[in-house]
Amino acid sequence: MVSAVMFRQIPFNQPPILIFPMRFCHLSRFMTLGGLLAGLLLAACKPVAPTASSPADAAKPAAKSKRVAVVVSTLNNPWFVVLAETARDRAKELGYEATIFDSQNDPAKESQHFDNLISSGYGAVLFNCTDAKGSIANVRRAKAAGIPVFCMDREIEANDAATSQILSDNYSGCVALGQYFVEQVGEKGKYVELLGIVADTNTWNRSKGFHSVVDRFPDLKMASQQSAEFDRSKALEVLESILQSNPEINAVFCGNDAMAMGAYQALLASGKADKVKVFGFDGADDVVRSVAEGKITATVMQFPKTMAKTAAEYADKYLKGERSFPQRVPVAVELVTRANVGKFGDYGRKP
Amino acid sequence: MAANPEAKTARRIAITVMVVAGVVLFWIFPPFRVVSLKTQGLPTGGSSGSVSFDPTAAAAQIWQKTLPAAAVKAFEADKVVAALRVDPAAARTQFAGSSGLGTAYYLVRGHGRVISRDHSYLRLALAGDAADVVSLRIGPVFGNTVRDGCGLLDVNAFPGLSEFNALAAALNALVEKHVIPTLRDQATVGTEVVFAGCAEAPESLPAPGEPLLSIVPVQAEVHP
Repeated sequence: MVSAVMFRQIPFNQPPILIFPMRFCHLSRFMTLGGLLAGLLLAACKPVAPTASSPADAAKPAAKSKRVAVVVSTLNNPWFVVLAETARDRAKELGYEATIFDSQNDPAKESQHFDNLISSGYGAVLFNCTDAKGSIANVRRAKAAGIPVFCMDREIEANDAATSQILSDNYSGCVALGQYFVEQVGEKGKYVELLGIVADTNTWNRSKGFHSVVDRFPDLKMASQQSAEFDRSKALEVLESILQSNPEINAVFCGNDAMAMGAYQALLASGKADKVKVFGFDGADDVVRSVAEGKITATVMQFPKTMAKTAAEYADKYLKGERSFPQRVPVAVELVTRANVGKFGDYGRKP
Repeated sequence: MAANPEAKTARRIAITVMVVAGVVLFWIFPPFRVVSLKTQGLPTGGSSGSVSFDPTAAAAQIWQKTLPAAAVKAFEADKVVAALRVDPAAARTQFAGSSGLGTAYYLVRGHGRVISRDHSYLRLALAGDAADVVSLRIGPVFGNTVRDGCGLLDVNAFPGLSEFNALAAALNALVEKHVIPTLRDQATVGTEVVFAGCAEAPESLPAPGEPLLSIVPVQAEVHP
């Protein structure tokens, strides 16, 4: 008779191997799978660290760790590389061991990074989120574990989770860009708007700032408004598609510079690059050069190095005992046009 | 064919061990989490949590109560402009205010005579020996100049940046409704304008002949 399950006779220095006869395999697999699924659900529902902000949380002692985590939404965009590397380098200058975690624009990856950095005992997080609402839970978990979080560039929509948020004044930047747009395009024409990631408040602050100006001119018609998720390749694809149905446009307003470069490529491929004006936002080096060359009409310089350094310095102050930080710190932005482009470069103002 | 009782027991033990090991593994390294939105305190609608914010009502309150009091205490425009002419950076330090690392603004008041106008701006020669030239906005009002320039409002007192930006737009609408029409209708060349308003602090002097400040008025009276 064949036993239902047995240990194969193996040399003593090797681990035993479980062998199931075929007639029991399905049942055994089913039971094992069921058990594992039950365990999985049980583990998923287990209570996590306290989530609500409370005086008890605030009273927790700061971590003594000398490790700082830089969690960035993506490293697939040079602007965010500058943001993350500047934050890391400033933290190192201040005497910390700093590590960059790339969320790859994926909230699930971002959540895993927070799991890791909480369990690994990091002292502070310099954070560029993937989702203004969805990322709040991660920040609250870090806070509950006594780890302060300093947001850079992208806002989370909560006032009681992050220790401080250092954010570009996107709205006023796009107000200035909108006014320049009307000057350059005129008070009559058709344009396309390429939005960024729709879950990011920067996307809407930029769009609302722009529209607060251009919508005052009723003969400026928006032919299409679509998201290209702050991505150069997607902007290329989206604008190529839009141009099929709207060949006669005068301008493209893009929510960031990566999309502006993608849009310019699409216009170049369709032979419209010298007829359609492209506007970006960020102040990325390649776009600043393109503004100087007359390929891109204008962008808005954000100052990623200022934001990253400020976040790292705030973290340092926190870890040294300071507890008084403004929840939001707006950082000024500047319009970059062909007239003043010489003042800008390397993700900021030239010295 | 009956199963051997020893084999049955061994099978049960093996399955139990595997299940327990799986549960322990998932407990330590959960591949996902089920989280209550309520316990996380996540917003389930609107921006910045459950706080409801009415920018129009907030702007009306600021317009009626706090802004008039602040305008009375604004710096004299001729003094600010005189300082600006000497050293824009020093003038900014002495007279301007800013929120965080944001743009700096002046809140000024004064009076001057209209020397020219177009569809967006009046140009005023300020009273005084220097007769410095500033401009007053009479076209559509955009941006944060009034919100941030009045020096009364802290972004951290509001639910979030979106709400704070909506407040800027609501204040601009009040300027367009209550101040701009008077200037546009009555401020012809040669008339005198008494004003209070906000202006972005320039980093450097403008080109010769250009106004030293571009002011968005929050109060204005026109006299022949």
